[in-house]
Amino acid sequence: MKTARDISLLFSRYTLQMLRNPVWLFVGFSTPVLYLALFTPLLKHFAGVPGFPKGGALDVFLPGILALLAYASGASMGFSTIFELQAGVIERFRVTPASRFAILIGPILSGLMMMMVFDAVVVAVGYGFGFHVDWLGLLVLAVLLAVLAGLMAAFSVATALVTKDISSFAAIINGLNLPLLLLAGVLLPISLGPLWMRVIAHFDPLYYLVQASRALAVGSFGNAAVWQAFAVLVPLCIIVLTWATRVFRKAVA
Amino acid sequence: MDSIISTTELRKSFRSKHGAIEAVRGVSIEVGRGEIFGFLGPNGAGKTTTLRMLTTLLPIDGGSATVAGIDVARHPQQVRTRIGYVSQLGGADDLATGRENLILQGRLYGGDLASVTARSEMLMEVLDIAEFADRRVRTYSGGQRRRLDVALGIVHQPEVLFLDEPSTGLDPQNRANLWDHVRKLRDDGTTVFLTTHYLEEADALCDRLMIIDHGKIIIEGSPRDLKRDVAGDAVLLNLHDSERVLTRAKSLLEAESYVREVKTEGDQLRLYVEDGSTALPQLMRLLDGERIGLRSISLSEPTLDDVFLRETGRSLRDTGTTTEGAAA
Repeated sequence: MKTARDISLLFSRYTLQMLRNPVWLFVGFSTPVLYLALFTPLLKHFAGVPGFPKGGALDVFLPGILALLAYASGASMGFSTIFELQAGVIERFRVTPASRFAILIGPILSGLMMMMVFDAVVVAVGYGFGFHVDWLGLLVLAVLLAVLAGLMAAFSVATALVTKDISSFAAIINGLNLPLLLLAGVLLPISLGPLWMRVIAHFDPLYYLVQASRALAVGSFGNAAVWQAFAVLVPLCIIVLTWATRVFRKAVA
Repeated sequence: MDSIISTTELRKSFRSKHGAIEAVRGVSIEVGRGEIFGFLGPNGAGKTTTLRMLTTLLPIDGGSATVAGIDVARHPQQVRTRIGYVSQLGGADDLATGRENLILQGRLYGGDLASVTARSEMLMEVLDIAEFADRRVRTYSGGQRRRLDVALGIVHQPEVLFLDEPSTGLDPQNRANLWDHVRKLRDDGTTVFLTTHYLEEADALCDRLMIIDHGKIIIEGSPRDLKRDVAGDAVLLNLHDSERVLTRAKSLLEAESYVREVKTEGDQLRLYVEDGSTALPQLMRLLDGERIGLRSISLSEPTLDDVFLRETGRSLRDTGTTTEGAAA
């Protein structure tokens, strides 16, 4: 009860901060749209190539964008954690009796909500360019996107709390970005790659989301990628959240 | 004494590349209800670390601490509801207004919106924040921001307020203004525990203080007692032909019963005496009888720096980071 109240207070606070940051809002809205506008045209001729999944270029690419957004919005959460650590904001909250879990999860939930708004923009713009919308599939996908973004956010915030300074934090996050994104086949499907790539991709949590997102976007719920994504991401999310809460409870010196 | 903060043999060490660093080495404190208690020491002395243990931010390695009658290690959550803490950084939200900051803070302490709003209005009035309360915090001046920080620390009417280096970065006028507010808090019954490396602040503001160095308590008492009992009055002697007579004058003076200590400072001598007003004529008579010419003699009231100097052999002003405070 108290935790729920604290979460809602800290959720509102973080949301307000984001909405008052015009640069952040502008970049947040324009990035996904730019991806759609500048990358989709390059994919035109891929459709129908052996190894390329079924469907039009946009039907393959747009779900990848949604997965990318989920990854990026989660992974970048730690930057504001670092900033708030250095500004003394987190310390100010930690001296109050507010629930430690709420201090961690409030901003993460706010980030998830923003991500859903950006996702809606991507789908709406994509629809205008001929993306085929499967509503039920998107709904299930939204759950998976939230799970991955939550997992990445908890990881990012905990990493920020452990490293405490922007340069080492940025090095870790940027170092992870490239292999995780490429191996997941966010932009170009990994099915185009050689066997060894397709094998090591299975160690990348984002891979499961991307695979599931392409299946769900066209409404094939029976696709093995869907249950596999749930089976991998949900437990992983719980593990990382537990770890992050522990890091938060411990000293943040 | 009715202690509101009590610690015994508090310890904390940090691991580093060069092995464990003992930041706090057996600190025992008793702070009475309703006093302004100061922790004076150079940067790195262990002030902030002690404060962070008392405010539940750092786990306690050894010893024990109770705040407002509650064991800090066992019941941190109960301690949190009874204390306020203003860190060096403050930590107000830049993009929110002062009013929004206060209301959120009050609600995180469990207050309902109506009572938190009323309390915030009151604090904005008392701490002279009302005028700019609806501007975003990023537009505030240093003094305005500091007053908001203090308001955030007391929005839930804590029994004890912890202030970590409260006047860092403030100009002398804002510093004096802050001190007035802190005294008002004390007069209203709040216990204030502050750390500072500014001698002037410790002297002007604290009812009682402890001097801490290298993680250990050096001495404690009221500023007045410390200055009188420990340091005594300081007399500065400037002698004619000093390079020739300095050593002789020094040993001569050291033999006098009313002289507590003689230190060489460049080509001058600094003595600590029991009572400056009676010592001056005696000193002049003595030097005259020994045919040691006196260029100038001056008597100064002791400062806390004299206390620090006597107890540690170093001057607090020489510890590097205190120049700003010393100049103010």
